[in-house]
Amino acid sequence: MSLILKLFFFAVSLSPTALLMGWDGHLTWTLLDGVGLSLTLTPLAAFFLLLLALAAPLVALPMLRRPADWPSLALYAALLAGMQLLLLAGDFVSFFIGWEIMTWSSYLLLLRSPRTEMATSQSYILFNLASAFLLLAGIMVFYGLTGSFDIRPLVGPTQPQQLALALLFGLAFLIKVGTLPLHIWVPRSYDEAPDIFSAFLSAAISKMGVYGMILLLTLFPEALTGLYGRLLNGPAAGYLLAWVGVITAIVATYKAISQEDMKRLLAYSSIAQVGYITTAVGVGSSLALGGALYLALVHTLVKLLLFISVAGIVLQTGQRRFNDLGRLIERMPISFFGVLIGIIGLAGMPPLPGFAAKYLVFVSLVDARWLLLLAAMILSSTAAFIYCYKLIYAPFLGHANSAGAREAKEAPWPYLVPQVILMALLFGLGVFPGFAIEVLIDPVLTALRMAPLGGSSWAVLTTAYGGYDGVVLMSVFVTAFVLVTGLFLLLRGRMRRAGSPYDLSYAGEVPTEETPLHYGAGMGRELRRIPLVGWILRHSSQGFYLGLTRQMRAAAGLLGGFYAGNPQTWILLAVVVFAVVLGLQAVTGGI
Amino acid sequence: MHAILDSLAMIGVSYIMGFLFYGFYRQLNARVQRRWGPSIWQNFFDNMKFFFKSETLVHGPMFFFGPMIIMAGAFTTVLFVPFLKDSNWLQGYSQYGNLILIIYLLVVGPLGNALAVGSSGNPFGVMGVTRGLTRLMGLEVPFFLGLGLVMLQHETTSVHAIMAAQDGLAHWGIVTNPIAFCVILLPFIASQNGSPFDVVGAPVEVYAGPRVEFGGRLLGVLMTQNMMMSIAKLVLVTDLFLGGATNILVLILKAFALFVLTTAVSMVFPRLRTEQAVDFFWKVPLGLGVLGVILTVWLPWSA
Amino acid sequence: MYHKTQREGFQCEGSQCEQALLETGSPVDEARQGVLDQLVSWMRKRSLFVLAYGTGCGAIEMRPLMTSRFDAERFGIIGAATPRQADVLVISGYLAIKTLKRVIRSYEQMQEPKYVIALGSCTINGGMYWDSYNTVKQVDRYLPVDIFINGCMPRPEALIEGFVALQERIARGEKGGFHRYRENIDWYKANQRRVLGDQMPPAYTYDWYHAGGAA
Repeated sequence: MSLILKLFFFAVSLSPTALLMGWDGHLTWTLLDGVGLSLTLTPLAAFFLLLLALAAPLVALPMLRRPADWPSLALYAALLAGMQLLLLAGDFVSFFIGWEIMTWSSYLLLLRSPRTEMATSQSYILFNLASAFLLLAGIMVFYGLTGSFDIRPLVGPTQPQQLALALLFGLAFLIKVGTLPLHIWVPRSYDEAPDIFSAFLSAAISKMGVYGMILLLTLFPEALTGLYGRLLNGPAAGYLLAWVGVITAIVATYKAISQEDMKRLLAYSSIAQVGYITTAVGVGSSLALGGALYLALVHTLVKLLLFISVAGIVLQTGQRRFNDLGRLIERMPISFFGVLIGIIGLAGMPPLPGFAAKYLVFVSLVDARWLLLLAAMILSSTAAFIYCYKLIYAPFLGHANSAGAREAKEAPWPYLVPQVILMALLFGLGVFPGFAIEVLIDPVLTALRMAPLGGSSWAVLTTAYGGYDGVVLMSVFVTAFVLVTGLFLLLRGRMRRAGSPYDLSYAGEVPTEETPLHYGAGMGRELRRIPLVGWILRHSSQGFYLGLTRQMRAAAGLLGGFYAGNPQTWILLAVVVFAVVLGLQAVTGGI
Repeated sequence: MHAILDSLAMIGVSYIMGFLFYGFYRQLNARVQRRWGPSIWQNFFDNMKFFFKSETLVHGPMFFFGPMIIMAGAFTTVLFVPFLKDSNWLQGYSQYGNLILIIYLLVVGPLGNALAVGSSGNPFGVMGVTRGLTRLMGLEVPFFLGLGLVMLQHETTSVHAIMAAQDGLAHWGIVTNPIAFCVILLPFIASQNGSPFDVVGAPVEVYAGPRVEFGGRLLGVLMTQNMMMSIAKLVLVTDLFLGGATNILVLILKAFALFVLTTAVSMVFPRLRTEQAVDFFWKVPLGLGVLGVILTVWLPWSA
Repeated sequence: MYHKTQREGFQCEGSQCEQALLETGSPVDEARQGVLDQLVSWMRKRSLFVLAYGTGCGAIEMRPLMTSRFDAERFGIIGAATPRQADVLVISGYLAIKTLKRVIRSYEQMQEPKYVIALGSCTINGGMYWDSYNTVKQVDRYLPVDIFINGCMPRPEALIEGFVALQERIARGEKGGFHRYRENIDWYKANQRRVLGDQMPPAYTYDWYHAGGAA
């Protein structure tokens, strides 16, 4: 029975794939008079549906491991249904319904984790509800402008109308992707969610915000340019959005470096990566949007890989802090390669596709003449190397610091299969950087009436600014590696394996198990001595929200003062209000 | 066949130039300190000595493969930097790459080696790696901004195209875009591990930094890649700012001039701490870079 | 001549044995070298990375050796930061029991071929610390010394001469002290154990000496 249910669940997790393969045409369904649901699959939605189709079964597989948590599985199925509805939506009613299903089922899934604290779940639902209400308000404004719920470009909107829409929708989607002042629900919930579900939160759900942002651009006839004209060689409104994204990326990167918990580090790194995507959306050219979509694809793959690997580590060792892990490379080699490929992709190193994505964004920034943004983006993308290194050093290298880390075994196969698949995908996309461009991204760009980026073959990535050839790069590197290793082994002389992990050159001393040798947790602590970084790390948006809370409380207290227990005061108030209203009406001549 | 010969030639040229340049540096440094100094071949002797060490200690497979990755990274970098312009030779695979790719390739190897350092489990090594990554974070911002100015000037990321555009002394990058050259000069010294930004290896100070556990032939590999990588960077800057070179002698001359310029800075300044170095990069070269951006992009007369 | 190139005969126990060694003299290994070996030896000679172990007063003589006045770098001699990278261990002056442990550890971490230069009289017979309760008198009993440079203190000139003598030995392809250490590891370890007692470094630091043959 349970097996059949599990198979059924797995089949459900494949439904986005089926939808992607099988969907053609258009479905409408009238709810009320003049208001109906219409389901259709635009190329843009199809791209994000593909991300969902990648993520859903790979996350479902480890979730099925015994003991299966049936409520989680049911909620996951509901979540998938909601997200598919969201992506298929051809009108804002079904978009909103999908959005709400996604919000609530992910919230309930978050609560399935025993680690979730009250503050986390509250901030999650609060921010997501705020996002939903902003979305609702935006939909109402949209309806007021067009008289229809269908998602289609506005015809001749005025600037205030565009601004209202951009603000309401933009804030709603920025909350979902978690850019800077609106991010505080992200690290907590990614950290405390069930380990596997964090992968889905980061890989798939945050992409819905990206989908929303790009969808928003399609509502305006001239995208962001129509709002405030152009600045240098790009949209002026986008310049602001791009800075929001870059500052998010910088701050989140430094926060990530200073974390001592694996999942929290990954959560901050998610914020940073989505910050890049926001920047690219802000640039808005065909290069930049291609880069944004590419980044979204790579981020989905990488974060799935990393969160699943980390979930495997947590499962096998019972530890999640960097202090308590170490030297798992010998005990969990496949997970090691998973994290290795993951961080190479995350850091945007060639030859993995992270580089191709970043390359497109960098070139688009040069093309837009926004060089200061380029410098800021380089700052965060180089600082990312530090947390990437921490992520692989602290769990896998160095010295084992707890009994769990000393005795761990390789993660079970439901964790390894997705990792291997994702590694293969990342590797393949890296060798053929043009494949993703030509097959996945160009249809979207064409549908958005932008110039496609496709090159002469899948092996090359070409832009007007020059490109590179992934196959040549990979083969040169591999040949060099084989050649170097071969030549090295040909040299005469003995190679000797150290007799113990403690056989270290340690100023003549013989370190023991008690010697604090693991540098992982402290890594990045010395960064605080750099003025700028120290400033960033000393401040947090928590203070802003605490202040906001205080102000709200004070306002509520002031208001509450009117509702004293004394009925005479109430009556007096009622009379005064009545008199004022009457007076006002008399003055304005209403009566 | 041509490609193989060409690749081997590039690797050979960069290695020979590498140890001769560094030998010259040690000689010059000694003269500045009123010493005789070692012979110009000293780096070659040191390197060969390490390759012929009869014993090499490894701390596990990753420790062994780290130096192999960094060496493969150095080979790849060298092969993706065009050494000559208007020539069939010493091109490697540079037509398949671009400037941004080369900048990232410069980092691939050291990151691979960082894994080896980590797997040795020596905290001093990891401390060195962290210093290196922190310095990288500092230097890369102005460095990339300077290169961004160059990419903007020529509207391409192709090193070949940038080289081809500098067809006379008046069109050299250093003449047409002096701000960019000034912006990248100091970060360039840091990326060459030169003083005052040599806190990563910090010779004799922090127990050798990332190389603390490497000895024997593995250390020889690390030395070799360091020399080759330095030459790759020198040639890259020559290509971008000094008009490239049409034959190998001109290339050596130009790269050598640049090398002397950087060593002249290196020789007289004492070492900065990591955070001082980063702060310096974010104030002086980056400030200059921002000024350059304002002058070339923001002001009304600029394109 | 400030240096001695011949080992002092602490190789075997008992006075007869020592006497026998003194009479025969130590056999100089006139190893026949092929062209490649000669080349390798020459490279090794030209490049000596020095790990200066300076707890004794002799360390003060190492600084002028490296700096402008005497400039050891012209011989290819340069300081190394860690034992892993070093070729020559310079034990400068007396060793306390405590420091002996660290010296042994450092020596064992060096990669072969590796050489030891013992600096000053204290390393030969305890020097002015001949009756100290915690000073090691004869370093050669615990580590295979290649070159002794006597004097209290030997001047940098003497050090340079010692280094040059070591270079000549390397160039001739003679077997270094590390061969002796490898072949007689049990003898050395027994001596070390006698002094260090339960302070001996753990077995993994040296048991690989038993595993393989000579390089």
